[in-house]
Amino acid sequence: MIETINLNRKFGSFTAVDNLNLKIDKAEIFGFLGANGAGKTTTLRMLCGLLTPTSGTITVNGLNVVKNPEAVKRSLGYMSQKFSLYGDLRGIENLQFYTGIYGISWTAAKTNIKSLISQFDLDKYLKLKTSELPMGYKQRLSLVCALVHNPPLVFLDEPTSGVDPKARREFWQVINELAYRGKTVIVSTHFMDEAEYCNRVLIMQAGREEVCGNPLQLKQSHRVATMQQLFLKIAGADNAQS
Amino acid sequence: MTSLKVLASFVLKEFRQLARSPEMLAVLFLLPAIQLLVMGFAVTNEVKNVDISFFDYDKSHLSKSLIESFSSTDRFRIVPVSEAEHPEELLFKWKSKVVVVIPAGFERDCHGFAKPVLQVISDGIDGNSAALANAYVQGCILRFSQVMLQSRDPGLMKKDQGLDLIVRMSFNNDLKSNLNIIPGIIAVLVTVSSMVLSAISLAKEKELGTLEQLLVSPMHKYQLVAGKLLPYLIITLLQMQVAVLLAGIIFRISLAGSYPVLMLFSLIYLFTTLGLGIFISTRVNSQQQAMFFSWFMMVVMILLSGFFVPVQNMPKVIRGICFFNPLTHYMTVIREIVVKGSNLAQLRKELLILLSGGFIVFGFSLLSFRKRVK
Ligand SMILES: Nc1ncnc2c1ncn2[C@@H]1O[C@H](COP(=O)(O)OP(=O)(O)O)[C@@H](O)[C@H]1O
Ligand SMILES: [Mg+2]
Repeated sequence: MIETINLNRKFGSFTAVDNLNLKIDKAEIFGFLGANGAGKTTTLRMLCGLLTPTSGTITVNGLNVVKNPEAVKRSLGYMSQKFSLYGDLRGIENLQFYTGIYGISWTAAKTNIKSLISQFDLDKYLKLKTSELPMGYKQRLSLVCALVHNPPLVFLDEPTSGVDPKARREFWQVINELAYRGKTVIVSTHFMDEAEYCNRVLIMQAGREEVCGNPLQLKQSHRVATMQQLFLKIAGADNAQS
Repeated sequence: MTSLKVLASFVLKEFRQLARSPEMLAVLFLLPAIQLLVMGFAVTNEVKNVDISFFDYDKSHLSKSLIESFSSTDRFRIVPVSEAEHPEELLFKWKSKVVVVIPAGFERDCHGFAKPVLQVISDGIDGNSAALANAYVQGCILRFSQVMLQSRDPGLMKKDQGLDLIVRMSFNNDLKSNLNIIPGIIAVLVTVSSMVLSAISLAKEKELGTLEQLLVSPMHKYQLVAGKLLPYLIITLLQMQVAVLLAGIIFRISLAGSYPVLMLFSLIYLFTTLGLGIFISTRVNSQQQAMFFSWFMMVVMILLSGFFVPVQNMPKVIRGICFFNPLTHYMTVIREIVVKGSNLAQLRKELLILLSGGFIVFGFSLLSFRKRVK
């Protein structure tokens, strides 16, 4: 589904992403783990065609993202790290807007997101101004907005930051279902416990890949009990965040 | 069809956001009205204590009483002058706003030898108050001559004789008046609403992070730009109707030329200002920066447009710069249409300039707009 070869991104002389080689399969939940500034967002942005790599290639579904970023965008949903819905619009108006700019009908969008809305218990919040929603519901609405066009590929940049533990569990439940329905989910997080929900994780530090693999296997091979311990072992205590 | 729907949903969203932002609505509709009223009335307001000097080469009884007649009103403050000074110099050094020259033989001429002549020179830098001051001076002189007519001295000023006034503006030969300033204000308004607001609006999306969500969508960059600019195009044209209407109702300025021609020119001009708006927004990171740069740009554009000082009175180098200022040409056009009633054929040079300006600026801005983050 997604493949990168020697992916690099520099900002001036600073290397934010350093020689990343990835292979992500269909219907996989792939997690980028790392402390703030590790390069997760930069990587995700490049995979989406939002940011041009300094060097290296990215192919998504056989398409070169660097050469034709616009072609890839139709098949992906993206939820950026920063909350980015229109606060002065109602929930429903945000949904209608994103449906509109993806060029699909509201009827089609409604079938795409109906189950999600009821699962997220969003119905009664859709009439409210988005800025007035509690944080957890803002995040849920953001996710629904990213899924109006039913994309096969979903990018979620720290979707659970600032969300309470219960809402986080619910969020991951939905992510699981998305993958179950055949969507590829690429998610970044700095919560190490969330790594357990991923099929595979890539631990990043200073733009480089530290380890990559299935969480269970990684824990076994490094002889640790939790991902948190693995991260501490790799990154050193001062970089860790919980 | 689909692409039209994409555009429509974008425009709908923009209008929804505008409708919910009281500050934006105030900027859009209250500010222009206030601007027009304040600036318009500042123009028509009374002028008091205008510094006036007299060069009395006649030194007669009559010339003294003429000067005296000016001191009886608080409109003027008489600045004494010495023989050595020169009228133009007085104006240049801002010692005086208006200079009246009474030639030798003035009294004699008034007794029927010849047509009496008075010369009035005023500082035209501030065209509006100069126009008023001028009007007051002329009024004063007229009243003086009427008083003379009614006086008992039978030899003074026969009825048909009249008085010749040579009125001259220094620094500003084609005097601007209300009729010129109001169309100018409208031109400025159009510039502000389109350029400043479109720049801020796009920068706002950047600042809030919503732009990223738009950039990652498959919507074409032309749709994005069109969706962002179309509302401001519509609003600016609407504002213009309001301004033209207000100018008519409050200042009794009616459009001498054709309304559709005015709209056509405004539409063409808006491509330049909206283009500048996107250009600014692509190069800033926050609304504040967008505000700063667009206001700065606007001030420069206004100063170099002939709004305050006519372009032909500027130094040659500055005139050259003014030529590349689209507002210069739009201001000319709007004044020509409102005041003189010029038609499209008469304005074809400006049409060509504004069309190519819009094409270049808008085209360049569009090309330099990237659907990428930095
Ligand atoms: N546009 C940019 N210009 C300069 N430096 C940047 C830019 N974006 C990110 N960086 C830098 O790149 C590094 C990685 O950032 P990011 O990918 O946002 O990390 P993460 O998402 O893992 O917290 C950080 O040190 C950040 O300061
Ligand atoms: Mg990040």
